[in-house]
Amino acid sequence: MTTEAETPRLTMSNIVKRFPGTVASDGAELSVRRGEVHCLLGENGAGKSTLMKILAGSYQPDEGEILLDGQRVVLNSPQAGLAAGIAVIYQELDLVPDLSVAQNLLLGHAPATGPIVRKQKRLELARAAITRVGGDFPVTATVRDLPIAAQQLTAIAKALTSDARVIVMDEPSATLGENDLLKVFEVIRSLVAEGRSIIYISHRMDEVMEIGDRATVLRDGRTVGVYDVARTGPEQLVAAMIGQERELVQSTERPRPEGEVLLEVERVRIPGVIDIAGIDVRAGEIVGLAGLGGAGRTTLLKSLFGDIKAARTVRLDGASLRVASPAAAVRAGLALVPESRKEQGLMLGLSVARNAAVTALGRPPWLLPRRIGKARTAPVLDDLGVRFASPDQPVGKLSGGNQQKVVLAKWITRGGVRVLLLDEPTRGLDVGAKADLYRQVRQLADDGVAVLLASSELNELTANADTIWVLHEGRNVAHFDPRTTPETTIAHTVITGVTP
Amino acid sequence: MTASTTALAPEAVPGTRKRRGSDLFVKFNLLIVFLALCVVATLLAPEFLTTRNMANLLQQSSLTGIVAIGMTLVILTAGIDLSVGSTAAFGGMTVALLIDKDMNFVLAIAVSLAIGAFFGAVMGGLSAYLTLPAFMTTLAGLTAIRGLTYLLTNGEPAGGDIPEAFQLLGGGFLGYVPIVGIIFVAVTVIAALVLRGTTFGEYVYAVGSNKEAARLSGLPVRAVITAVFAISGALSALAGVLLTSRLTIGQPTAFNGLELDAIAAVVLGGTNLFGGRGGVFGTFIAVLLLSVLRNLCNLLGLGSFFQMVVTGVILVVALILNMVIEKRGARA
Repeated sequence: MTTEAETPRLTMSNIVKRFPGTVASDGAELSVRRGEVHCLLGENGAGKSTLMKILAGSYQPDEGEILLDGQRVVLNSPQAGLAAGIAVIYQELDLVPDLSVAQNLLLGHAPATGPIVRKQKRLELARAAITRVGGDFPVTATVRDLPIAAQQLTAIAKALTSDARVIVMDEPSATLGENDLLKVFEVIRSLVAEGRSIIYISHRMDEVMEIGDRATVLRDGRTVGVYDVARTGPEQLVAAMIGQERELVQSTERPRPEGEVLLEVERVRIPGVIDIAGIDVRAGEIVGLAGLGGAGRTTLLKSLFGDIKAARTVRLDGASLRVASPAAAVRAGLALVPESRKEQGLMLGLSVARNAAVTALGRPPWLLPRRIGKARTAPVLDDLGVRFASPDQPVGKLSGGNQQKVVLAKWITRGGVRVLLLDEPTRGLDVGAKADLYRQVRQLADDGVAVLLASSELNELTANADTIWVLHEGRNVAHFDPRTTPETTIAHTVITGVTP
Repeated sequence: MTASTTALAPEAVPGTRKRRGSDLFVKFNLLIVFLALCVVATLLAPEFLTTRNMANLLQQSSLTGIVAIGMTLVILTAGIDLSVGSTAAFGGMTVALLIDKDMNFVLAIAVSLAIGAFFGAVMGGLSAYLTLPAFMTTLAGLTAIRGLTYLLTNGEPAGGDIPEAFQLLGGGFLGYVPIVGIIFVAVTVIAALVLRGTTFGEYVYAVGSNKEAARLSGLPVRAVITAVFAISGALSALAGVLLTSRLTIGQPTAFNGLELDAIAAVVLGGTNLFGGRGGVFGTFIAVLLLSVLRNLCNLLGLGSFFQMVVTGVILVVALILNMVIEKRGARA
């Protein structure tokens, strides 16, 4: 047993955080030294953001403790986190866009004499802070008008004004270009040289290799390993993130659908965002879309549904599909179960029946929508097994699983759906509700609907899809038959964009 | 199985009946308050419950009421229409001018309503298609249309030779009942039927409840928004036409501040300012309630300054009451 050379800057031990239906953090461990860049790695849903929210003080852990420089700390609010010297720079930078850089930097602790802000002093402090991170833009500029890299530097500088000991950076590369990222790396190196500790979250292995000193890999809410980056290859880290043996949820026993190609996505392109080509979906086929957050899954589905403008060459049943709006897409036989059922899927204040009937009303008869709606939706809701007290109950009072079934019911009630687009349909659902939902989707596929299913849950895709396409940084890079491909191969492709 | 269901039945019935009782109160709380106010008014001022006073009251409240019905539709889609007063004045002036130019008065009314609808459609369309806030487009409409109204006659009242049949519309009575009152009731009933019994009505609620979800469900969201503003514009013009008919003259200065009375009635009637919840029945009662309140103040000899204060206080109390009831409903 060697004696500890130094107390770690930060130790999070045995952190447990439960949410209804899931355990987001299941005994995760993290130890960060002074003056190091510590990378935090893991797949979607591995528990990275939960752990960081606990560190920031936004979430309270159910179990576990946090030591800062050997002292036990209780971070019961974001203010407490900041006071303890922990700054988190989120991907969607929490700057106030309409205020100046200087105002943002000293928001909440501007230098003042009584109630009067000392503007000159504030400018001086702000200039010093921006210079320190290597920024060369005026501190009087409005944040909204700055390029994203300058905003990122402002966010870092803001973290420094509160004299943070630990700075968490959540995927800075998601919004930065190559050159800007190098600038940020320089800043990171100088911060580390001052003895500060950086926790760097990223999916990209090349960045980890370049900037990281050590890396902690999380999987399923647990820490699976801590690695010295200089002595570890990227393959080894990816393998740790994926895990070698992974139990499959029950796999589909459906025969491979042999229907005609119904939806042909020849090319969907938004310059600089997505460029996707050559995805075919047969009638009766469920095509899964796998990818990291920001890989372009939602953008693809929304483009197909006419909600985002894109250069499209898409055919439905051999005929060119032109949809300028969601209304046109619906008329053409497309249906979308959007990413966020509360904001995009449902009218929460309206009743179950009215929600389930609303898409079906666009055809005659034009009278008595509520009575007709109730009559039409009753068998559909019953068939989907939606549990509710009464069809007049506001849909907002149902559980997540039942709400999602109502979103699906909306399209079944309308009828005539030929292509079903599902975007993260099982987010926040428990196991039973997930199984119910997929059973319904498979049933629709069996009735000849072409299904595109985007999900971050790879095991759900392998269990339910007939083909899985992997999207990476806006492109479709590979496709797999989940019956014959090990899930680890797909997971590897999802993270790296390259098939092993 | 059968034993347990029969055992449960006697318990279940009083429970539901009780709930139904409180439901009824929640649903009709405004009506109950209104009736209570009428009783109080009768006790305080014996002249209140005379046919003449009643007829008077209905005549005074009908024009605001018709506008408030249109406003209800707009607010149900989470919009707001500040231009109703100006559109009403413009409608009143155009009908007077057209009749003065010897146009058949039925046609003149139709033209005037069409112009009102057009103004509404432009403001609603700007807000729907260019995603400008309705507050701003209709605020612009408020000043621009009022300006147009003055420009028609350089600020002078319009009209002169108004046919008697046309005068009946705004000033006439059917027995003891003022014709404008009948029109107000008819507009309310038609609006209620449209809201409850047509696809369009269902879309109004869907759009107001969640515009994004309605759009992604393929509903014609922008057309619905444009349409409710057009309806509001047409009903405002109708109010203007009825005023011209009663005064036998078009008044360009009429209906100043009408939007505030209409919005107050809609909100007091329980329609949610953020859309999706409410209906025209509540607005109907609220319009009557506000005018009973004003009437009572008159009968008691309290000046109009006092009335303004009372109206404001009543509005705040009603909003608090609505919120309490809604919260309780959410908990149940």
